[in-house]
Amino acid sequence: MKKWQVLALALLMAVPATGFAQIGKLKLDSKVDSMHKAGVGPVIFPHDSHEKLYKCNDCHPKIFKEKRGESGISMKLNMDGKFCGSPNCHNSPKAFPLFECTKCHTNVGAAK
Amino acid sequence: MKASSNKFMKGALLLSLSVFFGVAVTVNGADSATAAKGKTNAAPAKSEKGAAPVLDPNDPASLIYLDTSGKPAGIGDPNKPASQSYKAGQGWHPQALSAAGLPKDKYGLIDWAKLVRENIVKPKPSLDPNDEEMPPLKMDILIPAKGDFVNDVIYPHEMHTYWLKCEVCHPAIFVPAKGSNNMSMAEITKGNWCGRCHGKVAFPLTDCNKCHSSPKKAASK
Repeated sequence: MKKWQVLALALLMAVPATGFAQIGKLKLDSKVDSMHKAGVGPVIFPHDSHEKLYKCNDCHPKIFKEKRGESGISMKLNMDGKFCGSPNCHNSPKAFPLFECTKCHTNVGAAK
Repeated sequence: MKASSNKFMKGALLLSLSVFFGVAVTVNGADSATAAKGKTNAAPAKSEKGAAPVLDPNDPASLIYLDTSGKPAGIGDPNKPASQSYKAGQGWHPQALSAAGLPKDKYGLIDWAKLVRENIVKPKPSLDPNDEEMPPLKMDILIPAKGDFVNDVIYPHEMHTYWLKCEVCHPAIFVPAKGSNNMSMAEITKGNWCGRCHGKVAFPLTDCNKCHSSPKKAASK
């Protein structure tokens, strides 16, 4: 019994042992009233999947300030080539384009 | 007790590692085996064709016609290249168009509106010489964006009516009354409203500011 417990524990530990503390997913909802008017919900930003592709200083602090709500992200500014829509990011062929609402916003088409 | 558990831990780690690598090796082995099979199957098929030009859709050198996304124009299956005549009717030749010096936007797409404005192309209104050409309708429509932080849209009737008749859009796609079309970007990306043409035969939705061009008060923030 104990043998199997230890074995199972070791097998479980062996796989995620390489990972480190991750930020995970961030909910971006500072402009939620405007979002509801536009018929979309808050953005769930997958910080974890971006961590795998980029180094911290690719985005911080030049593009995004490292404090929640401080950067002042808006769709208008994304469209103008700031934040998510930076020229090498979601305003370029390297990543999916800005018009794919459902890839970032939740509850798209819920209101109205 | 501790020593034994340590031993078990080491054993388990070794076991998990060996299992992991063992699986990886067998998967690789299986992959290479299937790849080899594919090669042996493909080789005689090519030689059978003989003198006829082999169109390999994955070889850029043998490509003649590409669709708007730069992929081979065909039937969607890269293993079945479309016939020459089928290809002739599909898409256009991107290299030929770039050599013609047509104006492009910042995404490298041909700016058909600019072509018209600068009189680079002058298409005939109809194949029938007796047909009268309807002059373009000079009417811009302001479509307010629903969100506070997005610029409003200015819809130019002029450029659209240059190419299209009124009946193409009205009343099937757009009810010709201001404010009675409840458009949304989510629906447009799914191919409704503007998305009936834009993203298919007209310029794609990639450049937001091409349509969202009228600043809002809040949008300036």
